[in-house]
Amino acid sequence: MTTTDDRAAMPAAARSEAAAAPRRPRRSRRLRDLAPLGFTLPALGWFLLFTVGPLVSLFYYSLTDWRGLIAPRTYVGFRNFGRLFARQEFHQAVTNTLVQLVVTLPVVIAGAFMIAYYLSLRPRGHRFVRAVLFTPVLLSAPALAMVFVGVFAPSGLVNGLLQNLGLGSAAKPWLAQSSSASIAILVVIVWSSMSVSAAMLASRLNSVSAEIFEAAEIDGCGHWRRMWLIAWPVCREFVGVVTMLQFLWTLFSSAAVVLLLTRGGPGYSTVNLSYLVYDYSFNQSKVGYGQAVAVMLFVVGVAGLLGIRRLFRQNY
Amino acid sequence: MNRRPIRGPRAARVRARGPLQRSGPLKYLAHFGVWGYVVLLLVPVYYLVISAFKSNTAILNSPFNPFSGLVLSNFGTAMSDAGLGPALVNQAYLTVGASVLTLVLAVPAAFALARSNGRTAALIERTFALGFLVPGFAALVPTVLLAIWMGLFHTREFMIIFLPAGALPLSVILLTQAMRTVPKELEESAVLDGAGSLRLMRSVYFPLVMPTLIVVAVLNFLGFWNEYFFSLVIIGPDKALRTAQVALPTLSMAQSAHYGVLAAGIVVTLIPVYVLYTFFANKMEGAVLAGALKG
Repeated sequence: MTTTDDRAAMPAAARSEAAAAPRRPRRSRRLRDLAPLGFTLPALGWFLLFTVGPLVSLFYYSLTDWRGLIAPRTYVGFRNFGRLFARQEFHQAVTNTLVQLVVTLPVVIAGAFMIAYYLSLRPRGHRFVRAVLFTPVLLSAPALAMVFVGVFAPSGLVNGLLQNLGLGSAAKPWLAQSSSASIAILVVIVWSSMSVSAAMLASRLNSVSAEIFEAAEIDGCGHWRRMWLIAWPVCREFVGVVTMLQFLWTLFSSAAVVLLLTRGGPGYSTVNLSYLVYDYSFNQSKVGYGQAVAVMLFVVGVAGLLGIRRLFRQNY
Repeated sequence: MNRRPIRGPRAARVRARGPLQRSGPLKYLAHFGVWGYVVLLLVPVYYLVISAFKSNTAILNSPFNPFSGLVLSNFGTAMSDAGLGPALVNQAYLTVGASVLTLVLAVPAAFALARSNGRTAALIERTFALGFLVPGFAALVPTVLLAIWMGLFHTREFMIIFLPAGALPLSVILLTQAMRTVPKELEESAVLDGAGSLRLMRSVYFPLVMPTLIVVAVLNFLGFWNEYFFSLVIIGPDKALRTAQVALPTLSMAQSAHYGVLAAGIVVTLIPVYVLYTFFANKMEGAVLAGALKG
C-alpha cells in the first residue's frame, strides 16, 4: 500500500524509473518502511494487554453468573441485564447518574466558558485566578473527598459558617440525609472540575485572533453578545472536547467521590452507576451484576462521546 | 503528506481588547462572579490547611481563626494511625517505577511514529488517539483477574506495569507531535556521520524534545501519585503494601471526630505534588492543558 501511494505522488519520470526496476527491491523497500515501526510494538503490546484485553473480556464476564472474584463463573446469557432492571438500587443509580450529568454538565461548561472569557480579557488579577484554577487538579480523589468530609461534617466548615452568620438552625448533618447528600455530591463534582475546564477554555480563547472581537466591538456588540455569539461559535469544537472530558469524569470518576463521602447512602440515595460497579463486585459478591453495569456504563460512555461530538460539530 | 503541526506565534500575540470597559452593570456581576468562585475554591483549602495545625477543640470553637489552639501533634497522629510512612514510600515506589516504564515504552514508539509517513503508522497513531478516551475504570474487575492470572495480585509491581498502559496513549501522542518538529536536516547530517537509529534517538531526538518529555513525565507522575481505585482493589488494604491514597481515607473512619488529624494526613500526601507544582508550575499547566487539547 505504501509503495503504490508513494508512486502516485512521484513525478512521471521517477515513476517510469521505479517501474523499470526489478520486483525485489520494491518489496524490500516496503519492509524497510515498516521496520522502524517495530519500535512501536512494545507500547502497542502494553496497550493491547492491559487496556484492550480487560475491556473485551468485560463483555464476556457480563454474561456470567459470578458471585465472587475467585468463585467459578457460569455462562447465563443476558440474564444479569434482565435481573438488574428489576432491582431498586439499579433504578436509583440510573436516576442519580442522569441527574448528575444533566445538572453538572451545563453548569460546568457554561460556567467554565464565562470564567474563560473573563480571563481572556486579562482583567486585574487574572494570573492569580488562573493559578487558583489549578488547585483542584492537584487533589487526588481521596484527598478531594476527605476535604469535603471536613466541609460537610456535622461540626465542619458549612455548619461552622452558618453558626457564625447566626443561621445555626439551618445547620444539619449534610451527608447523613438523603436530599442534602445528593446535593453534596453534585457540589463536589462541580467544585473539582469546573476550574480545569475553565483553564482549558481560557487557553483556547487566547489563541482566537483579536480582530474578530474588535470588529464586533466597533459594530456595537457588548461583552455578553461577544461571548455567546462570537467566542462560543469560534471555540465550538474545543468546547465539545472539554464537554467530552467532563462527561467522562462525571460518569466514571465520581465513583471515588461517592465511595469515600457517602458509600452510596443513606440507603441507596447517592448510588450512581460507576459506584455500583464497585459495590456489586467488591462489597456484595454480585460480580456478574457489576460487570453488566460496567458494560452499560461503557456503552453509555461511547454513545455520549459520539453524541457530544455531533452536537458540537463546527457548523460554519 | 506533511503532517507537521502548524505552530503559530500564539504566545507572542498581543491582546488589544480592553479589560471589560463600557459594559455597564454586567462588569460588576462578572467581577463578583469570578472572584466569588475563587473564594469558593480557596475556602475549603484554607480550612484544610489551618485545621491540620489546630487542636480539635479549636477546630470546633473557632473554625476560621488560623491562630487559635496551634498544635503539631496532628501530623504525628496521622502518620502513626494510618501508617502513612510506609504508605508514602509505597506510593513513591509505584509512581517512580510506572513513570519510568511509561517513558521507556513511549519514547521509542513516538520516535518511530514521528519518522514514518505510511498508512500503518497513521493507523497506529489513530489507535493511540482513540485509546486516550477509553475509560479504564469500566475494566476494574477484568484487570483484577489479569493480576490474579499473572500471579501478581496484591503486589505493587502489578501496578507498576499496569499503570503505564493507561498513560501511554497521551504520552505517545504528545511525544510524536514534539518529535515531528525536529528538523529533517539535523537528522540527515547525523545519518551522514554514521548514526544508527538508536544513536539518532538518543543523541538528536532525545535532547531536542526534552521540554515535552518533562511535560509528559510530570503529567504521568501526577496521575500515578493520585491513582486510587486500582490501587485499592489490586494492592489491597495490607498495611505494608498499600499506597498513601488508600491509607488516607482510613483516617476518616478511625478519627471521625478529629478533622485535624485527617487534614494533617491530606496535607502530607499533597506535599510531593505541591513541591512538583512549585518547580514546574508552567510545565504542569501546559501538561494539564495538553492533556485535553489532543482529544
